[in-house]
Amino acid sequence: MMQPLTGKEVEYIVDSISNEDLLIKQNAVAATTATNPAIRQICQQFQQVHEQNYNTLLNALNAHLPLAPTQPGNQ
Amino acid sequence: MYQNHHQALLPDEDLAYTILADLKRVTREYATGATEANCDNVRQLFTNLLNTTLHLQGDLYRVMKQNNMYSTSSPALKQDIDKQIQQNKQNLQKTQQLVQRITGGQQQQHPPGFANLVTPGQVHQGQLQQPQSPAYYS
Repeated sequence: MMQPLTGKEVEYIVDSISNEDLLIKQNAVAATTATNPAIRQICQQFQQVHEQNYNTLLNALNAHLPLAPTQPGNQ
Repeated sequence: MYQNHHQALLPDEDLAYTILADLKRVTREYATGATEANCDNVRQLFTNLLNTTLHLQGDLYRVMKQNNMYSTSSPALKQDIDKQIQQNKQNLQKTQQLVQRITGGQQQQHPPGFANLVTPGQVHQGQLQQPQSPAYYS
């Protein structure tokens, strides 16, 4: 059963979004500037996977949003 | 200055290595996220992402190795591995004796030569659960 996110869970999800964001950019740079075709190709694929991961994490935040309390408490 | 837009500022191996290093770091962070999760769905989310990231890291490592961008350390010597096996067999015996003293021999005892029974194949028999992706996240 889905439960409201704890503060810690939100922090981990948000940190993970930052990580995926950085990896999208790193792979975009490598896919464009690397001279080795194998590196270019794998980085193009990775860029897409990290975009999916980014969206998955964002969707998790969205899915839990309705469960979040509007007042601080000990729930 | 825009003519150099697509020119590599870093050699290929450095570009790939920075991504590999970050994939290793992110793998650890997903593992931490999973162990710290309260909600089962969040644990599953991080477990799935851990698995995906591990695959990416393995794939990149393989490509780097195939392209001579990563030097693996030399093979461990047979005598060094054997020394470790012997030391750890002795250690296991001591641990079993300690456990027997703690439990007063009430716990079911392992058959003699327990350490010999564990083979690498058996270690991997406890397969991980297949990741299930919660539908609402994807």
